[in-house]
Amino acid sequence: MVEAGTHEKGDVFVSIEDGKREVIIKSKLERLYGEAIRDTVEELTRGIEAKIIVEDSGALDWVLRARLEAAIRKYGGEKV
Amino acid sequence: MKLRRTRLYIPGNNPHLVENAGLYGADAVILDLEDSVPITQKFDARILVKYSLQNVNFGVSEKWVRINGIGTPYWKKDLEEILPYCDVINLPKVESLDDVDTADQEMSLIEDKNGIEPRKLVPIIETVKGLKNAREIATHPRVVALAWGGEDLTADLGIPRKKALILDYVRAEIVLAAKAEKKQALDTVFSDVRDMDALYQYAQRARYMGFDGIGVIHPNQIEVVHRAFRPTEEEIEEARKIIEAAKEAEREGKAVISLNGRMIDPPVVERARKILALAEVD
Repeated sequence: MVEAGTHEKGDVFVSIEDGKREVIIKSKLERLYGEAIRDTVEELTRGIEAKIIVEDSGALDWVLRARLEAAIRKYGGEKV
Repeated sequence: MKLRRTRLYIPGNNPHLVENAGLYGADAVILDLEDSVPITQKFDARILVKYSLQNVNFGVSEKWVRINGIGTPYWKKDLEEILPYCDVINLPKVESLDDVDTADQEMSLIEDKNGIEPRKLVPIIETVKGLKNAREIATHPRVVALAWGGEDLTADLGIPRKKALILDYVRAEIVLAAKAEKKQALDTVFSDVRDMDALYQYAQRARYMGFDGIGVIHPNQIEVVHRAFRPTEEEIEEARKIIEAAKEAEREGKAVISLNGRMIDPPVVERARKILALAEVD
């Protein structure tokens, strides 16, 4: 399993683990932004066969994109 | 020359702080990938900083990134990721001209690959060896300013920072090394974020020592430092008189400028110009 981000205010925590494709989104602002978050997650993780969990603490879209990219690249094997 | 009175340090892995960094009017914002980022977060921080440079409005602030030092496994990755999107690279623990050359070569490769203009470099002198070589380090054409760091330097000397007697010498050496090459000299941070009077004194002392700015670690420090770097009314008045005398001498075709029977040398006129330029800011 790989992780990126934190649970701090304005951030988002992303984890990706081996398994059947599944996207789980948890956000306190789910009613307002749930759909937008899901669209970004689906767009950036398309084709990745894994369990993807996104726990949002009020992150802006660019933060979500940065954390997703970090998690995806780590899942792809990048380390340093 | 670009004003660099304040450079605001922001931890590179904190999106909330990064998002707001441009709101305070610092002359520069430093997104930090070095000391404020734990090893376990280096990867995430680098990518977060890349995205922030592309998406956050940093207002009037010049965009700096403090990357990890060239003795670490991170610095090349840092540069590769963020160089195209920032204005200045702040390189810690620089000890020699060779260190600057090493960074310069890597930066040139990335700039060529991306077809971008050369980015600027501000080395941080924070070891005894670095201090000894500061004059050489300042000669590199990519270097626009020298900064220094007190904690690491006093640790390298093995003395407690608060009792260190050598720091005025260190400051003088940084200023001389930078100014001899017509580069800027940048003093280190003042870490008590509550004591604004002491901060004002510290910043004004830095100015009279020959520095062009200091580092800040809290937005509340910015206005105080800018005020401390503003020339006093007396200095402004004196500068105005000197410039007026220079203009008069030019009008009358005189080779020598004089004011109240005193001869004014060209460097004095130049200083007066700098003072008036600084007074007009804000």
